[in-house]
Amino acid sequence: MSMSASVAVPSPAAARAVTASKVYGEGEALVHALDQISVEFAAHEFTAIMGPSGSGKSTLLHCLAGLDRLTSGQVFIGDVEISACNEKQLTLIRRDRIGFVFQSFNLIPTLDAAENITLPMALAGRKPDRAWFDQIVGTLAIGDRLTHRPSELSGGQQQRVAVARALVSRPDLIFADEPTGNLDSRASGEILKFMRDAVSQLGQTIVMVTHDPSAASYADRVVFLADGKIVDEMREPTADRVLDRLKQFGG
Amino acid sequence: MLKITLRGLVAHKLRFLLTGIAVVLGVAFVSGTLVFTDTVKKTFDSLFSSVYDGTDAYVRSASVVKGQFGPSQRGRIPETLVSRVEGVDGAAAAEGQVNIQRAQFLDKKGKGIGDPGQGAPTLGFNWNTVRQLNPFTLVSYGGKSSRPPAAAHEVVMDLGTAKADHFKIGDTVTVSFNNAKVPKDSFRIVGVAKFGDADRPAGATVALFTLAEAQRVNGTPDQLDGISVAAKPGVGQAELVGQIKSAIDQRDVQVITGAKLIKEQQNQIEQNLGFFTTFLLIFAIIALFVGSFIIVNTFSIVIAQRTRELALLRALGASGRQVRISVLGEALLVGAVSSVIGVGLGLALAIGLRAVMGAFGFEVPTSDLVVKPSTFVISIVLGVVVTFAAALLPARRAARIAPMAALRDSAVESRQLGRRTTIGVVIAVLGAVLLLIGLFGTSNIQLVGAGVFGLFIGVALLGPVIARPVGRALGWPLPRWRGMPGQLARENAVRNPRRTASTAAALMIGVALVGLITIFASSLKLSISGQIDQAFRGDLVVVGDAGPGASFSPAMAERIAKVPGVAVANPLRFGAFEVNGSGQFLLASRPGELDRVFDLAPKQGDLYGLQPNQIAVSKKVFDDKHWKLGQQLRTKFPEQGAAPVTIGAVFGRGQREGLSDYFMSLDGYDKRFSQIADSQVYIALDHGTSIKDVRPKIEAIAKQFPGAKVNDVSGLKAQFETQIDQILGLVFALLFLAIFIALLGIMNTLLLSIVERTREIGLLRAVGMSRKQVRTSVRWESIIVAVFGALLGLVLGIFFGWAMVTALHDQGFTQLSIPGVQLVIVVVLAALAGVLAAAYPARRASRFDVLAAISTE
Repeated sequence: MSMSASVAVPSPAAARAVTASKVYGEGEALVHALDQISVEFAAHEFTAIMGPSGSGKSTLLHCLAGLDRLTSGQVFIGDVEISACNEKQLTLIRRDRIGFVFQSFNLIPTLDAAENITLPMALAGRKPDRAWFDQIVGTLAIGDRLTHRPSELSGGQQQRVAVARALVSRPDLIFADEPTGNLDSRASGEILKFMRDAVSQLGQTIVMVTHDPSAASYADRVVFLADGKIVDEMREPTADRVLDRLKQFGG
Repeated sequence: MLKITLRGLVAHKLRFLLTGIAVVLGVAFVSGTLVFTDTVKKTFDSLFSSVYDGTDAYVRSASVVKGQFGPSQRGRIPETLVSRVEGVDGAAAAEGQVNIQRAQFLDKKGKGIGDPGQGAPTLGFNWNTVRQLNPFTLVSYGGKSSRPPAAAHEVVMDLGTAKADHFKIGDTVTVSFNNAKVPKDSFRIVGVAKFGDADRPAGATVALFTLAEAQRVNGTPDQLDGISVAAKPGVGQAELVGQIKSAIDQRDVQVITGAKLIKEQQNQIEQNLGFFTTFLLIFAIIALFVGSFIIVNTFSIVIAQRTRELALLRALGASGRQVRISVLGEALLVGAVSSVIGVGLGLALAIGLRAVMGAFGFEVPTSDLVVKPSTFVISIVLGVVVTFAAALLPARRAARIAPMAALRDSAVESRQLGRRTTIGVVIAVLGAVLLLIGLFGTSNIQLVGAGVFGLFIGVALLGPVIARPVGRALGWPLPRWRGMPGQLARENAVRNPRRTASTAAALMIGVALVGLITIFASSLKLSISGQIDQAFRGDLVVVGDAGPGASFSPAMAERIAKVPGVAVANPLRFGAFEVNGSGQFLLASRPGELDRVFDLAPKQGDLYGLQPNQIAVSKKVFDDKHWKLGQQLRTKFPEQGAAPVTIGAVFGRGQREGLSDYFMSLDGYDKRFSQIADSQVYIALDHGTSIKDVRPKIEAIAKQFPGAKVNDVSGLKAQFETQIDQILGLVFALLFLAIFIALLGIMNTLLLSIVERTREIGLLRAVGMSRKQVRTSVRWESIIVAVFGALLGLVLGIFFGWAMVTALHDQGFTQLSIPGVQLVIVVVLAALAGVLAAAYPARRASRFDVLAAISTE
């Protein structure tokens, strides 16, 4: 495995937030989406972020990924403080060091599956590593779908292409925002299993937001958020334990 | 539903803003043209009414000769008629009138003011001593008072010229005439006069002399152009005319009322303006036509984007009819609001047009703008109807949206293009046939117009079929050259073929017309240059610096002929006459010297020995009319009246070759025309004499004749080319409006498209597309659409150009020239225009907030 190559940064954490706060609105309508959160995401780990609606889990993911800005505090990808980066630097970090899987609309409709997978590298003007590409495509079983446009793919296939895209440039970190939210349980299972393997076997790092306890059970660690604060975390989760923990929120 | 219509407009105000601008510009052009020409017409109407206010009857020659190109020419009457007219019971006063065709003031540097050939007229009249018959009023100027001319070598000048060229009362001024005996003369300015309320009549210069002096400088002693008569109080105009008619009773003399004289003058102006109005309106209609494509496009896109909303309305119980009415209501509102704004802008445009005309020397006396109710009605109806008609198709499509579409994901353009293709082919072929019939069959300009219109619509309908392959082909190098942004640009340019096609079609129209005009002008240049090469044998030619229609004193040719080294200085004179009742253009020159300077390609008879009572005709006319050598032609000359001439020779190079079908000797010409002026002088040098040595001497002579310019063959060609380029520039300026509107269309489509693709752009940005790359992508998409439109336009333009030039072969367009480099430049400019149109949409797309974009529904 080539995990050592993809983790060149000596920092123990792939990403971390330090007293990160995000505030929306003003006065009485003031909402603390993130309230002084400090958290680390270790490299080569699969972390799930869970919490009830409005707990700030998506905001945390967006801020970690450089898609959104903190009101105060810091966010690091490796040892780069992205909360201090400008738009141009953020674009480069997203392109070269981060992979994304969104809940839906993950693919560009005018590009075929292969082009969608290599999109970030094409934007960077780089050629994908052919062997790595073939390995990912093989593992995800989308080899016969490469010349298809997204409209010709099923939902599950589309998400697999999205995962392949997130992996192909060997990012430091993959952020997944409800990646199985629109899929049936069988397709979900396949995607999650693959993400699990990408961490255990390929040495990738994944941070995933989900509200589905069974999805969270694929992770190494679950971080629970409520009202913009980290309220708990759990290692080696199972679906039942996560569900039990969630019930305590009274949601 | 009305509420929904209004809400729809408010919600999509940006989308409709650009549509609105297209309508506003078109309507503004229409209303501006109407207001301007109405204003000019009104100004002249009232000017003529006031000027001829005191004239109750007018006596003139009944002999008129139609001009082939210019206005008709009338003969003269003897001065002795004045006393007979004066003696009529009802006449209070009668006074002879002399219209001097050319009385050109020279400025202090000796340069001619105005241009008797084709620019501002240089008029000369006799000063009327009867106050009520005199349209001019003396005014004091520069602290000195004016008096009428009372003796030879005295002149009254119009106030406009005095102001513009800094003449003072008491100055001496040189005036140049079309008279061999008096080519020019000096006069003392004894007064300055206004014409009605105006400083001068419509940019013309005016010189006023005593009657005898006017006749002398005009070369028409004892002759008058007309007699103005004032009636005694209580005598009606018709009554006075009746009395004069019975007193004179001559068939060659015509008597008309003052009212008719005014009407004639007003009609003349109206006719001239009519041409101008039509010319401007054509461009206004083109602009609106281009605008209609943008309207179709905007409504189509907006409806596609609102499919779910409209389907929801259908699901909630709205009928298809209600949906259609809602869309048409939007169109009606957009059309009405834009049209009203357009009319307002049109008023500003009219003021601007007046200023522009003034800057070109055609001063329109200031008066209030004339805004007729019909202008409002025509402009607003036109704007509303165009908008409404353009929205009909999209509205139909909207009404067909099934309620089920509310549940589907997004608008997919997939309806088969089969029927559309068939209709497009039919309309395009029909258009082409109409165009060709109009050009080659019946010479019907309306048919040509309809054909062009049909071809535009037909090709626009066919556009979607070819948009995808052509767009792909155009964008072929992009992925390699511009990487992923280039590839996305290419894919986006062809993903909605209909949208791409109708956006491109708007640009196609302007480019096709530019292509047509370019080919037309280039062919004209090449034809003229070829004709000069073929026909011109001499070494040098003296022409007017403003064009071929100049007039010089014959003294110039005589002096040039005496220059050592000059073998022949053969003048060319132009005249209007009638052959068998139809107006024709006559060339006259010295036959004996003709072959040294011209090759008219003699065919039959003795061209070089043509007698004064003979005429030479071109082979084409000779054959067409089945004439015979020695046959008498029924000809009529302005001053002589009917006077037959004999066909003495037949030559090969006629009007088709840029010359004339009729040729006469100078001696013959001088017997028939009193206004003797050379339009051009053709010069051949002695063998062994170099042009370089002689030219300066000829130039020194030409310098003394205002407006004269010495050219060699290449200079002559260059001069024609410059003139063609000037007209070309004007047409391009007017077509710019159509192209500008097309660019608004590209901008509009891009804006709508990027809004539609918000999520996609958000995703691209999230996975690492830089702002710059987003801009690059949008820009190249725009370039592909623009170049696609330009290519469509070019294909049509080349077809139009070919058809037109071929059809005009007999009018002197002997050569077709398709200037490749210029047409390539047109495409390159279209691409640059695409960049310009993409600037704002590209910027907007690159500024989308990534997070907001990804989470957009």
